[in-house]
Amino acid sequence: MSKLSRLRLAGTKNMAIIETKNLTYTYPGATKPSIIDVSIKVEKGEFVLITGPSGCGKTTLCRCFNGLVPHFYQGELKGEISVAGVNTLEHHTYEMAKHVGLVFQNPENQLFALSIEKDVAFGLENVGVSREEMRKKVDWALNLTGIYDLRERSPHEISGGQQQRVAIAAVLAMEPEIIVLDEPTSFLDPLSAEKIFEVIYALNKKQGITVILVEHRLDLTAKYTNHLIVMDEGKVRFEGNPREILSTEETRLIGVGIPKATLLYQMLKKDGLNLNGNIPLSSEELADQLLEALKPK
Amino acid sequence: MSVFDGLRFRKVYSPIHNLDPRIKFVYVISIFVVAILFYQIIPLLFLFFLQIPFVLLARVQRQWLRSLRGASFLAGFIFIVNVATTYFTSGYTLLAPNVENAAAMTLRFVVLVESFSVFFLTTSPDHLGLALEESRVPYEFAFAFTTAVRFVPVLAEEAQTIMDAQKARGLELEKGGLLKRIRNYVPVLIPLIVSAIRRSLELAEAMESRAWGATKKRTNLYLLKLRRGDYALLAITVGILVVAIYVRLFVPIPTITQLL
Ligand SMILES: Nc1ncnc2c1ncn2[C@@H]1O[C@H](COP(=O)(O)OP(=O)(O)OP(=O)(O)O)[C@@H](O)[C@H]1O
Ligand SMILES: [Mg+2]
Repeated sequence: MSKLSRLRLAGTKNMAIIETKNLTYTYPGATKPSIIDVSIKVEKGEFVLITGPSGCGKTTLCRCFNGLVPHFYQGELKGEISVAGVNTLEHHTYEMAKHVGLVFQNPENQLFALSIEKDVAFGLENVGVSREEMRKKVDWALNLTGIYDLRERSPHEISGGQQQRVAIAAVLAMEPEIIVLDEPTSFLDPLSAEKIFEVIYALNKKQGITVILVEHRLDLTAKYTNHLIVMDEGKVRFEGNPREILSTEETRLIGVGIPKATLLYQMLKKDGLNLNGNIPLSSEELADQLLEALKPK
Repeated sequence: MSVFDGLRFRKVYSPIHNLDPRIKFVYVISIFVVAILFYQIIPLLFLFFLQIPFVLLARVQRQWLRSLRGASFLAGFIFIVNVATTYFTSGYTLLAPNVENAAAMTLRFVVLVESFSVFFLTTSPDHLGLALEESRVPYEFAFAFTTAVRFVPVLAEEAQTIMDAQKARGLELEKGGLLKRIRNYVPVLIPLIVSAIRRSLELAEAMESRAWGATKKRTNLYLLKLRRGDYALLAITVGILVVAIYVRLFVPIPTITQLL
C-alpha cells in the first residue's frame, strides 16, 4: 500500500484494523485454552495497551495478530480474526509481515545479522525489495528510531535499549500498518524503557501507525493510550477507557499494576480531597491537579 | 571471558580487509596449488615471504605469528616423520639432501597454513557470509553461518554465567581425573543446551515474523563489487600462477645442497 493511500485510510474514521470474534486458542498438547472467547476491536491509528498478570495470554494473543498462531504453533484456533483486512487463518505469517510487525521481549534473540543495517534489511531482503528501494527504507527506519549512527555496528556491541530499537526499526522498515510490541522493555532499565516508549508514541502520532503495546509498567505507559485491554486467565476482563478501568477495585485485585498517580488520587479522594479534572494516569497529570488545588483562591 | 576472546570477531579496516573475499579465496587457492607444484625449498621459501607484505598491509602480524606458532607443533612433527622415514629407508644414513627435502615438505605445510590464516584473519564473517550468499550456496547455509557467528559471543557469555552460577553453588570444575573433570561439566552443559534450544525457538519465531521464506528470489542489501584493488590482486594471482607454471616446466631449480 502506498503512503498516500494509507494516509487516506487513516483519515476514514471508525475502521477496525483488527477485529476478533470469540477467538479461542489451545496450544498443541495443552489441556485448556490459553485465550478464551476474545472479542476485541482496534481502530486504525489507535494506541492500544494490553495488560494483565503473567500467563494470562497476552503473548498468545499477539501471536494471533500476525498468524504465528496457528501457522507456526499449530494447535486449535476457533472464532474469527481479521487483521488489516486479511483473515490470518488463510494467510501465512510471511504474508502478514507487511501488515503487522511483531517486536518481542528479548531483544537479543530477534537480531540475527552481523550488522545493524543488515538486520533492519532482513525482512525487505526476504520479500525481494530492490537494493535501491531497500537502502531508502532501511535509512528511513534507522532515522526514525534514532540509531542511524549505529548502523555498521554488530548487535553485541550495543546496549539492550539500542538492540530493542533495532528490533523496532527492523519491523518498521517493512512499513507495516500495525506494530505489536510484546513487553518490549522488560529487559531494560526504566530510562531506556521510557526512551523506547517515546519512539513508539512518535511512530503512532507522526506516522499514523496503529500500535498495540503489551506492558506491565502502566506508570510509564498509561498516559499514551485511551484504549486499554485488561486480560486475566485467557479472557478479556475490561476493555475501554484506561481512566475508568484503572480506578476500579477489580482491576487492582486482578494484579494489574495501577499507576501510582491513580492510586494516590483515589486515596486523596477517599480522604475527602476532590481534585479537578480527569482521573490522572501519570505523575505529571496529578502534579498539575495538585498545584491547581493548592493555589490560594 | 579470556577463554572466549579468540572467538569474537572485530571489525578492522585495511586495504586487505576491504578486498573481495572471493578474489582473496582464489588467491589462497592459487598459492595452495603453487605450493603443491614445487618440492624444492627455494620456491617454497619464496612463497612464504610473498605473503608477508599482505600480513603487514592488513596489520594482522600478531595474530598471524600466533597462528604460525600454533602450527609449529604439527610442522615439527612433519619434519621428524620425513627425516625418520628417509633415515630408515636409505639404510640408516642421514644425508643432507634428505634433510633438505624434509625441510621443504615442512615449509610447504607452513605455506598452506600461512595463506589460509591470512585469508581468515583478513576476511570478516559478514564478508564471508555475503560471499556465500552471492555464490551458488543455498541461502539457508549462508544464513546459518552468519547467525552462528553472531551467537558465538552470546553463548560464550552465557556459558560463563552458568559456570559462575554453578561454581557459586559449590560445583568444582577443576577437580579430579580427566573423566571426572569431563563429568563436572554436565551441570554447565545442560542449562546451556536448554537455553540454546529456547533461544533458537525465539529466533525462528522472529524470523517468521519478518517474512522468512516469502519469496525464492531474495535480494540483498549489500552487493559485492570488484574494485581496483580486487583486479590488482587478481592480476597478481594470475602472475604468480603463470610464473610458477613456467618455472616448474622450463627452469631447473637447484637445491641448497647443490648450491653449497
Ligand atoms: N508455546 C507454548 N506451548 C504451550 N503452552 C504455552 C506456550 N506458550 C504459552 N503457553 C501457555 O499459554 C498460557 C498463556 O501464556 P502467554 O505466554 O500468552 O502469557 P503472557 O500473558 O504473555 O504472560 P507473561 O506476562 O508472563 O509474558 C500460559 O498458561 C502458558 O503456559
Ligand atoms: Mg508474554
